[in-house]
Amino acid sequence: MSMDLSIPRHWRRKGPLYRLEAAKCKECGKTHYPPTASCPYCGSKLLERVQLPRVGVLESYTIVYSPPEGARQESPVIVGLINLGGVRVVAEMTDVDPGELSTGMKVEAVLRRVREDGEAGVIYYAVKFRPLLEAGRSGEGQTAEPR
Amino acid sequence: MVKVYVESVGMVKIGRHYEKSLRDLAAEAASEALKGAGGNVDYLVVSSALQYVESGQLDLAGYVAGHLGLHGVGVLSVESGEASGLAGLKAAHSLIASGEASRVLVVGVDKLTDFVSSRVYRDMQSIYDTEVEAIYNIGHAAHAGLQARLYMEEYGVSRDTLSYWPAMMHRHAKENPYAMLRFAIDPKSVATAMPVADPLTLLDSFPLGDGAAAVILSAGDEAGNSPPLAELVGVESAAGPYSLGHSPDPLRVPALETAGRRAMDRVGSPDVVEVIDTFTIKGILSIEALGLAPRGKAAELVAEGRFTVGGEGPLVNPSGGCKARGHPLGATGVYQAAEVALQLAGKFEGVRAESAKIGFAAGYNGVGSSAFVAIFRRV
Repeated sequence: MSMDLSIPRHWRRKGPLYRLEAAKCKECGKTHYPPTASCPYCGSKLLERVQLPRVGVLESYTIVYSPPEGARQESPVIVGLINLGGVRVVAEMTDVDPGELSTGMKVEAVLRRVREDGEAGVIYYAVKFRPLLEAGRSGEGQTAEPR
Repeated sequence: MVKVYVESVGMVKIGRHYEKSLRDLAAEAASEALKGAGGNVDYLVVSSALQYVESGQLDLAGYVAGHLGLHGVGVLSVESGEASGLAGLKAAHSLIASGEASRVLVVGVDKLTDFVSSRVYRDMQSIYDTEVEAIYNIGHAAHAGLQARLYMEEYGVSRDTLSYWPAMMHRHAKENPYAMLRFAIDPKSVATAMPVADPLTLLDSFPLGDGAAAVILSAGDEAGNSPPLAELVGVESAAGPYSLGHSPDPLRVPALETAGRRAMDRVGSPDVVEVIDTFTIKGILSIEALGLAPRGKAAELVAEGRFTVGGEGPLVNPSGGCKARGHPLGATGVYQAAEVALQLAGKFEGVRAESAKIGFAAGYNGVGSSAFVAIFRRV
C-alpha cells in the first residue's frame, strides 16, 4: 500500500487516531489498541469502544535516525511505547530532546502535525506524546488541541 | 501423505545488483536450481514482498514464468511480508504432499536498491500495521529499537552483551559466498556505530540488498542421478498479535512460539536453525520464541558462544542471517530453506553444522503477525 494517506482513509481512522479509541472486551475485560474485530486475548467479538486515558507512562523509546521519506525535517524521530492505563500504544514523541527521555516518565497526548507532503497535498495531524507538564503550567494536556 | 524432498537449490549472492531486474535475479536463481533437477517442473511458486509496494508488478509468478519460458506450468504468487519465502515453501509442500504436483520450483525474490534508502524505509513500514501506526514517521526500525531497550531494562542485559549477535552473524557470513557482508566485526564496535534506532546501530541492522533464491521440491527421492539434499518434513505456520498493543508481553512472539512448538512436536529439537534477525533484537527474540533459550537469556548465551561452531548448539544462522547474509524481504525464507537443506546434505559452502540431522528455517513478519517454521530432515 502507499503511505500517501487518502482523505477517506484518514477519516475512517479518526476514532483510534485522534480520540485514542481502543476496544474493550465484554467477556474477558481486557482492552487492546488499535481496535480489531475480535479480542486478541480471548477471541470474543463482544467488544465496546472505549477511550484510553491521555496520560500514561513511557515504557520504552527509540530515537530513529533513519527516518522514512518525507520526514527528513523531523529527524531524529522519537518513538515511544506508552502504557495508557494498561494498554500499550506505539506513537511519536514530541516537545522533548532525546537526552530528556527516561523510561517510567509520565507522558501526555497532544495533537501535532506529522506530515505535510504527499500527493493529496494535505497536512496530516496525529496524537503524539510529550512529557507531562506539571499542573498549573498548562492545561493543554487535559484535552488535545492543535497549535 | 506423499513425502517431499529438496532436489536442488540456487542462490544469487545478495548485493546491489543495479544492472539486473527483479525478473533477471529470479531467473538466475531458478536456472541454477533447474540444473540440478531430475526433470521438468509442473508448478512455479514465486514469493516476494516489497516488490508489490515498489515495482508494483501484479501476478509476479506469471511474469517470472514468462521470463523463464515456463509456459503451461501451474503458477502461484505468494506474499507474507518478511516470511514470504517460507510461505511459498508451505504452498509448494502442500501441492506435492496432496498429490497435486510432483515437482515444484519455488523462487523468492526482492529488490531493495531501486530507490533511495529513505523511500525504502517508508515502503518497509508496510511490514507493520498500516491502519493506525502508519500515520507516524516511524520507518522500519522503530519497533526493534523499542523492543531492544525494553529487553535491556527488563532483563538487565547490557548493550555490549547484545553486540555479540551481529559479531557472530558477521563471523559466519564471512565464510558464506552468497552473503552480502563478508567481513568480521568487533562486538565492541557495535554500540558506538552510527545510531539507526537507538539503542540499535547500523551494525545491529540488516543491509539493503537485492537477491533471489530458488529450491526445487519433488515427490521423488531421487534427483537426477543423485539423492536429494534433504526431506522437507513440513512447514508449520501460525498467526499472532500484529501490534505491540495486542499482547501482554511485547518481548514475546506468540506466532513463532506456536509454529515452533508444532515443529518440535513433530521432530524434536533441531541441530541447525536459520532464524530471521533483521535487527539484533529480532534474532534474540527468535531464539527465545523457539524455546532454544529461556526468556531473557538468549543474548547472554549468544555471547558465551552457545549457538556458534563448538557451542552446545544448536548452530544458529551459519549463513550469517539477515544481519550479514542479507534480507531481500520476500526472498529470505527461500535462502533459509536452501541453506538448511545444504547443511543437512553436508554441502553448505561456509560454516557447517557437522552431522546435523534436523534443521529449521524460521521466520516471522514484523512483530509477529505471522510466523513459519520449515522442518528439514537429513536423507
